[in-house]
Amino acid sequence: MSVYAVNKLCYRVVREPALRQFLTEDPEAALLAVSPPLTDTERGALLAGDVGTLSLMGANHFLLHQLGRFRLLGLDLQRYAERIRAAHR
Amino acid sequence: MAQLIGGVGVPHTPHFPGIVDRGEPLAAEIGELYGRAANWLRQARPDVLVFFTCDHYYNFFVESIPIFAIGVAESARGPGDYRELRQYEVRVHAPLARRVQAHLVQAGFDVGMSQEFELDHPVTVPLHFLTPGMGVPIVPVFINGLIPPLAPAWRCHALGTAIGAALAGEPDEPGGPLRVAAIASGSFSLEIGGPRISAHSHTGVPDLDWFDHVLVRLGAGEVGELVKEATGEQLARAGNAGGELLSWIAMLGLLDPGPPEFLAAQRDFGHAFGIWGSG
Repeated sequence: MSVYAVNKLCYRVVREPALRQFLTEDPEAALLAVSPPLTDTERGALLAGDVGTLSLMGANHFLLHQLGRFRLLGLDLQRYAERIRAAHR
Repeated sequence: MAQLIGGVGVPHTPHFPGIVDRGEPLAAEIGELYGRAANWLRQARPDVLVFFTCDHYYNFFVESIPIFAIGVAESARGPGDYRELRQYEVRVHAPLARRVQAHLVQAGFDVGMSQEFELDHPVTVPLHFLTPGMGVPIVPVFINGLIPPLAPAWRCHALGTAIGAALAGEPDEPGGPLRVAAIASGSFSLEIGGPRISAHSHTGVPDLDWFDHVLVRLGAGEVGELVKEATGEQLARAGNAGGELLSWIAMLGLLDPGPPEFLAAQRDFGHAFGIWGSG
Protein backbone atom coordinates (compact mmCIF):
# COMPACT_ATOMS: atom_id res chain seq x y z
CA MET A 1 0.00 0.00 0.00
CA SER A 2 1.72 3.15 -1.16
CA VAL A 3 -1.23 5.50 -1.41
CA TYR A 4 1.03 7.65 0.76
CA ALA A 5 3.01 8.33 -2.42
CA VAL A 6 -0.12 9.83 -4.02
CA ASN A 7 -0.84 11.89 -0.92
CA LYS A 8 2.73 13.13 -0.76
CA LEU A 9 2.67 14.11 -4.42
CA CYS A 10 -0.45 16.23 -3.79
CA TYR A 11 1.13 17.74 -0.66
CA ARG A 12 4.15 18.75 -2.75
CA VAL A 13 1.94 20.13 -5.51
CA VAL A 14 0.71 22.82 -3.10
CA ARG A 15 4.22 23.73 -1.95
CA GLU A 16 6.26 23.46 -5.15
CA PRO A 17 5.47 25.56 -8.23
CA ALA A 18 8.33 23.80 -10.09
CA LEU A 19 6.64 20.44 -9.58
CA ARG A 20 3.35 21.88 -10.89
CA GLN A 21 5.19 23.08 -13.97
CA PHE A 22 6.87 19.68 -14.46
CA LEU A 23 3.50 17.94 -14.13
CA THR A 24 2.05 20.29 -16.74
CA GLU A 25 4.91 19.95 -19.23
CA ASP A 26 5.71 16.26 -18.90
CA PRO A 27 3.33 14.44 -16.57
CA GLU A 28 4.73 10.98 -17.26
CA ALA A 29 8.29 12.00 -16.42
CA ALA A 30 7.17 14.01 -13.43
CA LEU A 31 5.25 11.06 -11.99
CA LEU A 32 8.19 8.70 -12.57
CA ALA A 33 10.48 11.06 -10.67
CA VAL A 34 8.58 11.25 -7.39
CA SER A 35 9.73 9.62 -4.17
CA PRO A 36 8.53 7.34 -2.77
CA PRO A 37 7.65 5.80 -6.13
CA LEU A 38 4.07 5.45 -7.29
CA THR A 39 2.72 2.02 -8.18
CA ASP A 40 1.81 1.45 -11.83
CA THR A 41 -1.88 1.59 -10.89
CA GLU A 42 -1.46 4.89 -9.09
CA ARG A 43 0.57 6.39 -11.90
CA GLY A 44 -1.95 5.26 -14.48
CA ALA A 45 -4.84 6.71 -12.51
CA LEU A 46 -3.02 10.00 -12.03
CA LEU A 47 -2.15 10.28 -15.73
CA ALA A 48 -5.81 9.69 -16.58
CA GLY A 49 -6.96 12.24 -13.99
CA ASP A 50 -8.92 9.34 -12.53
CA VAL A 51 -9.37 10.73 -9.05
CA GLY A 52 -12.38 8.46 -8.54
CA THR A 53 -10.14 5.39 -8.57
CA LEU A 54 -7.58 7.12 -6.34
CA SER A 55 -10.39 8.06 -3.95
CA LEU A 56 -11.55 4.45 -3.78
CA MET A 57 -7.93 3.38 -3.19
CA GLY A 58 -7.93 5.52 -0.06
CA ALA A 59 -6.14 8.68 -1.17
CA ASN A 60 -6.70 11.69 1.07
CA HIS A 61 -9.41 13.88 -0.42
CA PHE A 62 -8.19 17.21 0.91
CA LEU A 63 -4.83 16.53 -0.75
CA LEU A 64 -6.29 14.95 -3.88
CA HIS A 65 -8.50 17.96 -4.62
CA GLN A 66 -5.38 20.10 -4.99
CA LEU A 67 -4.84 18.43 -8.39
CA GLY A 68 -8.14 20.00 -9.49
CA ARG A 69 -7.41 23.31 -7.83
CA PHE A 70 -4.12 23.65 -9.69
CA ARG A 71 -5.61 22.28 -12.95
CA LEU A 72 -3.18 19.40 -13.24
CA LEU A 73 -3.48 16.06 -15.07
CA GLY A 74 -6.48 17.20 -17.09
CA LEU A 75 -8.47 18.22 -14.03
CA ASP A 76 -10.13 21.34 -12.75
CA LEU A 77 -12.27 21.61 -9.63
CA GLN A 78 -15.50 20.93 -11.49
CA ARG A 79 -14.17 17.84 -13.24
CA TYR A 80 -12.55 16.72 -9.98
CA ALA A 81 -15.87 16.99 -8.14
CA GLU A 82 -17.79 15.18 -10.88
CA ARG A 83 -15.38 12.25 -10.80
CA ILE A 84 -15.49 11.96 -7.01
CA ARG A 85 -19.29 12.00 -7.07
CA ALA A 86 -19.39 9.38 -9.82
CA ALA A 87 -17.00 7.09 -7.93
CA HIS A 88 -19.18 7.16 -4.81
CA ARG A 89 -22.60 7.02 -6.44
CA MET B 1 -0.15 37.34 35.60
CA ALA B 2 -1.35 37.91 32.04
CA GLN B 3 -4.82 39.32 31.62
CA LEU B 4 -7.12 37.17 29.50
CA ILE B 5 -9.48 39.57 27.76
CA GLY B 6 -11.58 37.20 25.64
CA GLY B 7 -11.53 35.76 22.18
CA VAL B 8 -13.18 35.32 18.81
CA GLY B 9 -13.99 32.28 16.70
CA VAL B 10 -13.99 32.77 12.95
CA PRO B 11 -13.83 30.81 9.69
CA HIS B 12 -10.99 30.93 7.17
CA THR B 13 -12.56 30.30 3.76
CA PRO B 14 -9.71 31.10 1.34
CA HIS B 15 -12.09 32.68 -1.19
CA PHE B 16 -13.39 35.31 1.25
CA PRO B 17 -10.63 37.92 0.76
CA GLY B 18 -11.17 37.82 -3.01
CA ILE B 19 -14.96 38.01 -2.67
CA VAL B 20 -14.60 41.13 -0.54
CA ASP B 21 -11.91 42.70 -2.78
CA ARG B 22 -14.06 42.20 -5.87
CA GLY B 23 -17.23 43.41 -4.14
CA GLU B 24 -19.18 40.26 -4.97
CA PRO B 25 -22.68 39.77 -3.51
CA LEU B 26 -21.46 38.14 -0.31
CA ALA B 27 -18.87 40.87 0.35
CA ALA B 28 -21.04 43.00 2.63
CA GLU B 29 -22.02 40.05 4.83
CA ILE B 30 -18.45 38.78 5.11
CA GLY B 31 -17.15 42.26 5.85
CA GLU B 32 -19.83 42.81 8.49
CA LEU B 33 -19.16 39.50 10.27
CA TYR B 34 -15.38 39.79 10.38
CA GLY B 35 -15.86 43.49 11.14
CA ARG B 36 -17.74 42.68 14.36
CA ALA B 37 -14.86 40.55 15.55
CA ALA B 38 -12.25 43.07 14.34
CA ASN B 39 -14.00 45.91 16.20
CA TRP B 40 -14.16 43.87 19.36
CA LEU B 41 -10.43 43.09 19.08
CA ARG B 42 -9.56 46.73 18.43
CA GLN B 43 -11.42 47.81 21.56
CA ALA B 44 -9.95 44.96 23.62
CA ARG B 45 -6.39 46.13 22.72
CA PRO B 46 -4.60 42.77 23.02
CA ASP B 47 -0.79 42.69 23.29
CA VAL B 48 -0.74 39.15 21.94
CA LEU B 49 -3.10 36.71 20.23
CA VAL B 50 -3.14 33.02 21.12
CA PHE B 51 -4.15 31.61 17.75
CA PHE B 52 -5.74 28.13 17.68
CA THR B 53 -5.51 26.62 14.21
CA CYS B 54 -5.40 23.33 12.31
CA ASP B 55 -2.51 23.00 9.87
CA HIS B 56 -3.95 22.14 6.44
CA TYR B 57 -1.40 19.52 5.39
CA TYR B 58 1.02 22.38 4.85
CA ASN B 59 3.69 22.36 7.57
CA PHE B 60 3.04 18.98 9.05
CA PHE B 61 2.74 15.97 6.79
CA VAL B 62 6.02 14.29 5.84
CA GLU B 63 8.30 14.40 8.86
CA SER B 64 5.66 14.25 11.55
CA ILE B 65 2.04 15.14 12.24
CA PRO B 66 1.96 16.54 15.77
CA ILE B 67 -1.31 16.22 17.65
CA PHE B 68 -0.45 19.56 19.29
CA ALA B 69 2.38 21.97 18.48
CA ILE B 70 3.30 25.56 19.26
CA GLY B 71 5.19 27.78 16.84
CA VAL B 72 8.18 29.47 18.50
CA ALA B 73 9.83 31.22 15.52
CA GLU B 74 10.32 35.00 15.70
CA SER B 75 7.94 35.44 12.77
CA ALA B 76 6.31 33.47 9.99
CA ARG B 77 5.19 34.19 6.42
CA GLY B 78 2.11 33.14 4.54
CA PRO B 79 -0.22 31.99 3.20
CA GLY B 80 2.17 29.62 1.47
CA ASP B 81 -0.72 27.44 0.31
CA TYR B 82 -2.42 30.40 -1.45
CA ARG B 83 0.30 32.44 -3.16
CA GLU B 84 -2.43 34.32 -5.03
CA LEU B 85 -3.60 35.90 -1.75
CA ARG B 86 -1.86 38.86 -0.13
CA GLN B 87 1.28 37.61 1.60
CA TYR B 88 2.02 38.62 5.17
CA GLU B 89 4.90 38.41 7.59
CA VAL B 90 3.38 37.88 11.03
CA ARG B 91 5.32 38.41 14.24
CA VAL B 92 5.28 35.60 16.78
CA HIS B 93 5.64 36.36 20.49
CA ALA B 94 8.44 33.81 20.61
CA PRO B 95 9.45 34.17 24.28
CA LEU B 96 5.86 33.72 25.42
CA ALA B 97 5.34 30.86 22.96
CA ARG B 98 8.40 29.07 24.35
CA ARG B 99 7.29 29.57 27.95
CA VAL B 100 3.76 28.32 27.20
CA GLN B 101 5.12 25.26 25.39
CA ALA B 102 7.50 24.47 28.25
CA HIS B 103 4.69 24.90 30.79
CA LEU B 104 2.43 22.57 28.79
CA VAL B 105 5.07 19.85 28.56
CA GLN B 106 5.65 20.07 32.31
CA ALA B 107 1.89 19.87 32.83
CA GLY B 108 1.79 16.57 30.95
CA PHE B 109 0.78 17.76 27.46
CA ASP B 110 3.16 16.41 24.82
CA VAL B 111 3.14 19.59 22.74
CA GLY B 112 5.68 19.81 19.95
CA MET B 113 7.76 22.89 19.30
CA SER B 114 7.98 24.19 15.75
CA GLN B 115 11.02 26.41 15.27
CA GLU B 116 10.51 27.15 11.60
CA PHE B 117 7.17 27.09 9.83
CA GLU B 118 5.02 28.92 7.33
CA LEU B 119 1.51 30.17 7.88
CA ASP B 120 -1.27 28.67 5.81
CA HIS B 121 -4.64 30.23 5.00
CA PRO B 122 -6.38 29.17 8.26
CA VAL B 123 -4.08 31.65 10.02
CA THR B 124 -3.70 34.42 7.48
CA VAL B 125 -7.31 34.73 6.27
CA PRO B 126 -8.62 35.54 9.78
CA LEU B 127 -5.70 37.92 10.44
CA HIS B 128 -6.25 39.60 7.04
CA PHE B 129 -9.70 40.62 8.24
CA LEU B 130 -9.11 40.99 12.00
CA THR B 131 -5.69 42.67 12.30
CA PRO B 132 -4.79 43.71 8.74
CA GLY B 133 -1.88 45.82 9.97
CA MET B 134 -0.44 42.66 11.56
CA GLY B 135 0.48 44.80 14.57
CA VAL B 136 -0.30 42.17 17.22
CA PRO B 137 2.08 39.22 17.59
CA ILE B 138 0.63 35.73 17.79
CA VAL B 139 1.31 32.51 19.65
CA PRO B 140 0.27 29.86 17.11
CA VAL B 141 -1.19 26.72 18.67
CA PHE B 142 -1.54 23.95 16.09
CA ILE B 143 -4.17 21.33 16.81
CA ASN B 144 -4.40 18.37 14.46
CA GLY B 145 -8.01 18.61 13.34
CA LEU B 146 -7.72 17.16 9.85
CA ILE B 147 -5.57 14.03 9.84
CA PRO B 148 -6.92 11.12 11.90
CA PRO B 149 -6.31 10.12 14.60
CA LEU B 150 -7.46 13.35 16.24
CA ALA B 151 -7.09 14.10 19.92
CA PRO B 152 -10.32 13.75 21.90
CA ALA B 153 -12.28 16.97 22.40
CA TRP B 154 -11.84 16.83 26.18
CA ARG B 155 -8.06 16.77 25.70
CA CYS B 156 -8.20 19.83 23.44
CA HIS B 157 -10.38 21.61 26.00
CA ALA B 158 -7.90 20.67 28.73
CA LEU B 159 -5.04 21.97 26.59
CA GLY B 160 -6.76 25.35 26.43
CA THR B 161 -7.23 25.32 30.20
CA ALA B 162 -3.54 24.49 30.67
CA ILE B 163 -2.56 27.39 28.40
CA GLY B 164 -4.63 29.57 30.75
CA ALA B 165 -2.58 28.28 33.69
CA ALA B 166 0.63 29.05 31.80
CA LEU B 167 -0.57 32.61 31.15
CA ALA B 168 -1.55 33.01 34.81
CA GLY B 169 2.09 32.38 35.70
CA GLU B 170 3.38 35.13 33.42
CA PRO B 171 5.09 38.05 35.19
CA ASP B 172 3.64 41.52 34.59
CA GLU B 173 5.23 43.64 31.88
CA PRO B 174 6.64 47.04 32.97
CA GLY B 175 3.45 48.68 31.69
CA GLY B 176 1.11 46.28 33.48
CA PRO B 177 -0.18 42.79 32.76
CA LEU B 178 0.14 41.34 29.28
CA ARG B 179 -3.26 41.59 27.59
CA VAL B 180 -4.03 38.28 25.84
CA ALA B 181 -6.88 37.55 23.44
CA ALA B 182 -7.57 34.26 21.67
CA ILE B 183 -8.58 33.44 18.12
CA ALA B 184 -10.00 30.10 17.00
CA SER B 185 -10.08 29.36 13.28
CA GLY B 186 -12.32 26.72 11.73
CA SER B 187 -15.64 25.27 10.61
CA PHE B 188 -18.12 22.99 12.40
CA SER B 189 -19.10 20.85 9.42
CA LEU B 190 -17.17 20.84 6.19
CA GLU B 191 -16.16 18.33 3.52
CA ILE B 192 -13.41 19.31 1.09
CA GLY B 193 -13.01 17.21 -2.03
CA GLY B 194 -14.46 14.05 -0.52
CA PRO B 195 -17.53 11.88 -1.22
CA ARG B 196 -19.85 14.15 0.79
CA ILE B 197 -19.37 17.30 -1.28
CA SER B 198 -22.49 19.07 -2.53
CA ALA B 199 -23.98 18.60 -6.00
CA HIS B 200 -22.54 21.88 -7.27
CA SER B 201 -19.18 22.37 -5.57
CA HIS B 202 -15.97 20.63 -4.50
CA THR B 203 -16.96 21.35 -0.90
CA GLY B 204 -20.03 20.57 1.17
CA VAL B 205 -21.59 20.75 4.62
CA PRO B 206 -22.42 17.10 5.33
CA ASP B 207 -23.95 17.36 8.81
CA LEU B 208 -26.25 20.36 9.17
CA ASP B 209 -27.96 18.80 12.22
CA TRP B 210 -24.63 18.75 14.03
CA PHE B 211 -23.85 22.26 12.82
CA ASP B 212 -27.15 23.55 14.23
CA HIS B 213 -26.54 21.68 17.46
CA VAL B 214 -23.03 23.14 17.89
CA LEU B 215 -24.49 26.59 17.40
CA VAL B 216 -27.14 25.99 20.10
CA ARG B 217 -24.54 24.70 22.56
CA LEU B 218 -22.20 27.63 21.90
CA GLY B 219 -25.04 30.14 22.17
CA ALA B 220 -26.13 28.71 25.52
CA GLY B 221 -22.58 28.55 26.87
CA GLU B 222 -22.90 24.77 27.23
CA VAL B 223 -19.27 24.01 26.45
CA GLY B 224 -19.03 20.99 28.75
CA GLU B 225 -21.93 19.30 26.96
CA LEU B 226 -20.44 20.17 23.57
CA VAL B 227 -17.12 18.62 24.57
CA LYS B 228 -18.89 15.38 25.55
CA GLU B 229 -20.84 15.30 22.30
CA ALA B 230 -17.91 16.12 20.00
CA THR B 231 -16.76 12.50 19.79
CA GLY B 232 -14.35 11.33 17.14
CA GLU B 233 -17.24 9.62 15.34
CA GLN B 234 -19.30 12.81 15.38
CA LEU B 235 -16.43 14.96 14.11
CA ALA B 236 -15.86 12.46 11.29
CA ARG B 237 -19.55 12.61 10.36
CA ALA B 238 -19.20 16.40 10.19
CA GLY B 239 -16.80 16.04 7.26
CA ASN B 240 -13.10 15.71 6.59
CA ALA B 241 -12.62 19.19 8.10
CA GLY B 242 -15.15 18.59 10.90
CA GLY B 243 -12.25 18.34 13.35
CA GLU B 244 -11.63 22.07 12.99
CA LEU B 245 -14.17 22.46 15.80
CA LEU B 246 -11.33 21.33 18.08
CA SER B 247 -9.72 24.77 17.62
CA TRP B 248 -12.85 26.39 19.03
CA ILE B 249 -13.06 23.86 21.85
CA ALA B 250 -9.43 24.51 22.84
CA MET B 251 -10.06 28.25 22.83
CA LEU B 252 -13.15 27.77 24.99
CA GLY B 253 -11.00 25.73 27.40
CA LEU B 254 -8.70 28.73 27.65
CA LEU B 255 -11.46 31.33 28.03
CA ASP B 256 -13.84 29.28 30.23
CA PRO B 257 -16.55 31.71 29.16
CA GLY B 258 -20.29 32.04 29.56
CA PRO B 259 -22.49 32.60 26.52
CA PRO B 260 -20.94 34.61 23.70
CA GLU B 261 -21.48 38.34 23.23
CA PHE B 262 -22.11 37.66 19.57
CA LEU B 263 -22.70 34.53 17.53
CA ALA B 264 -23.75 34.43 13.90
CA ALA B 265 -23.73 31.55 11.44
CA GLN B 266 -23.13 31.23 7.74
CA ARG B 267 -25.00 27.96 7.57
CA ASP B 268 -24.32 27.31 3.88
CA PHE B 269 -20.61 27.28 4.70
CA GLY B 270 -20.91 25.21 7.90
CA HIS B 271 -19.18 27.88 9.94
CA ALA B 272 -19.86 30.75 12.35
CA PHE B 273 -18.44 33.88 13.94
CA GLY B 274 -18.39 34.22 17.74
CA ILE B 275 -17.14 36.77 20.25
CA TRP B 276 -16.48 36.01 23.89
CA GLY B 277 -15.57 38.89 26.17
CA SER B 278 -14.02 38.41 29.57
CA GLY B 279 -17.32 39.46 31.18
